[in-house]
Amino acid sequence: MDWASLDQQIINGLQLGSIYALIALGYTMVYGVLRLINFAHGEVYMVGAYVAYYTAERWFDKTKFHPAVLLLLMLFNSMVICAILGVTIERVAYRPLRSAPRISVLITAIGVSLLLQQGGLLIFKTSPQPSISESVNPFKAYTFENLPLLGNITISGGQTAMFFVSLIFMLLLWFLVTRTSTGRAMRAVAHDFDTAALMGVDVNRIVSITFIVGSGLAGAGGMMNATALGTPLDTFYGLIPGVKAFVAAVLGGIGNIPGAVLGGFLMGVAETMVVWVGYAGYKDAVAFVVLIAVLLFKPNGLLGSVGVEKA
Amino acid sequence: MNRLSRKHWIFTLSGLLSIFVLFAWLGGCKTEESATSGTTATVRPESTGPGNKVEGDTIPIGIIASLSGSEKPWGEESVRGAQLAVDEFNAEGGLNGKQVVLLVEDTGGQPEQGKSATERLITEKKVIAVLGEVASGVTAPSAQVAQEKGVPIVSIGSTRVDITDIGNMVFRVCYTDDFQGAMMAKFAYEDLGLRRVAILTDRKLPYSVGLSEMFREYFTRLGGKIVTEEFYEKGQTDFKAQLTNIKAANPDGLFCSGYFTEIGPIARQRKEVGLNVPMFGGDGWDSRELLQAGGEGIIGGYYSNHYSNLEDRLEVKAFVSKYKAKYGEEPANAMSALGYDAAGVVLDALKRAKSLDSRALRDAIAETKNFPGVSGTITIGPDGNAQKPGLVLEAKLVNGKPAWVPFKRYEWFDPGLKKKA
Repeated sequence: MDWASLDQQIINGLQLGSIYALIALGYTMVYGVLRLINFAHGEVYMVGAYVAYYTAERWFDKTKFHPAVLLLLMLFNSMVICAILGVTIERVAYRPLRSAPRISVLITAIGVSLLLQQGGLLIFKTSPQPSISESVNPFKAYTFENLPLLGNITISGGQTAMFFVSLIFMLLLWFLVTRTSTGRAMRAVAHDFDTAALMGVDVNRIVSITFIVGSGLAGAGGMMNATALGTPLDTFYGLIPGVKAFVAAVLGGIGNIPGAVLGGFLMGVAETMVVWVGYAGYKDAVAFVVLIAVLLFKPNGLLGSVGVEKA
Repeated sequence: MNRLSRKHWIFTLSGLLSIFVLFAWLGGCKTEESATSGTTATVRPESTGPGNKVEGDTIPIGIIASLSGSEKPWGEESVRGAQLAVDEFNAEGGLNGKQVVLLVEDTGGQPEQGKSATERLITEKKVIAVLGEVASGVTAPSAQVAQEKGVPIVSIGSTRVDITDIGNMVFRVCYTDDFQGAMMAKFAYEDLGLRRVAILTDRKLPYSVGLSEMFREYFTRLGGKIVTEEFYEKGQTDFKAQLTNIKAANPDGLFCSGYFTEIGPIARQRKEVGLNVPMFGGDGWDSRELLQAGGEGIIGGYYSNHYSNLEDRLEVKAFVSKYKAKYGEEPANAMSALGYDAAGVVLDALKRAKSLDSRALRDAIAETKNFPGVSGTITIGPDGNAQKPGLVLEAKLVNGKPAWVPFKRYEWFDPGLKKKA
């Protein structure tokens, strides 16, 4: 533990948290609308990372693009393909079970998750594990050191870009949910599924939009994380981030959109803090202990309201 | 829902506390175990197994390798190298007209699968020797099987110290981690002039834990200081928190003992927290992929290896040209050369063996002296380990492209760490 590096660690934590928050949003939105924990969400994130890799290294000749254009193309492809994947999962696996007991849908979600993890082995290159090369990331070149107000810390351009792109997406989502008619319909469905349907809301359309938006955000998260960190990819890439983001969503109050963002950032910062004090081995354990503790005191999560749960 | 009794609270809190204590206790146990695992070197147990005899017109030799899974780049190369040596042996007429057949089994990089692959080779295919594996975690259970059945096993790339302690049937053609750790410490202290080094260890990988330990011991013995040691786990993607801690300790070098899959992102991310000190590690770095995955951060990095395609030795040049002629490309990593040498040692022993069975072959392997291997001259010591030189490679830009270039060769020495046979 070194007090001088605390500010740097908080910045690391916020960046990690921004990715957790992006994934947690998908969990929380789907839960809000369908009361379903979409366990396949982490695998959508994994596919997003792979799409970014294939876009940058296989499908397109990266030397022909301006780096910024290539990055946008990667982001666009990841989001679009993940959105399509998400909505397909909903159509094929969840919609036929809409009136089935909730446990059946939950088990189906786990099944879809396993299908994507194991089935991905047939489609994606996993050995040797591919990673997105550094040359596609132009932000890498800019690092800010010894900033006037912040003192002795280093912030990389990639880190900053990732953080702000995440924030922009969160603001766009907030605008969609609170300021548009689709958003109003979404909130109505979340509040009471059947009544919303009776009031003339096209429930299936709203569910599809929820999956499109949530999966698109997960795709963006996968693309940014794989590009900024240069991690080797395999089909289990989404497993741990998926679980962490789920915990973040529960921590913030599942079904609550600002709660997911708060939970994501809290998880990211908590994790780096544990490493900071020198217990790197316990960072996952502590995340879950924090969750248990929060749930003991506030069973609905930090921002969750009491009593929305339907019978 | 929120109204929980006080008793309930005490209950849950004490429950949480006991979980913590349990975790801490388990964590403590683990590190102790790994710390003592290197010290158990005494006399190697004799095998009581019946062994196999050559009965047909061909001499069967088995090889186990990870041909699937994340360590595939290593497994594939080891088989290619061994096959090359067998082909040469057969082209020269084999042994008294008998040809050698190389039987390949996939381990998938999994200990259990490696064990059953070895069993299949020995009991069904009746091989008189087994080559492999690369990963120590797979070699250990496989060697146990070979030892029980009385068939010699020659590991290709397992550097973990205690592998050959399993018994007198177990050998290897690579150096061990006590030598490797000492060599890197010597390199850091003498050649780079480092005095304050930080260590980054993959705590889920026994290889990494062991190598870090050996490095720490020899480096402090030389007079250097380990300023901090940080840990991560295989599969982790964000290392910035650990790297920030390391930067805060103000080291002049960073020793990373893990596998190449995590070294790539570490090399990239260290630039993001501004940790600009030389970075170096062990043979777990050995891969072509690392140069791409590590980006700019890997340039100026060093690791210890068994062999390099660019080495200026006659054996290496001959091997590379033979390899190119057969497979149409250059060897991707050192495992092809080690596979070639492992097969070479066994085939050389086959010629000297008094009879064509696994016990006579074992005795001949144990007597190997100054075998001219591609990865260096190999003498098998009384402990079953190869006494041979090591090599440090440096990541450099060659014609604008990153490549691993030989930096310095270190002759074999006994570091006298832990293992006192």
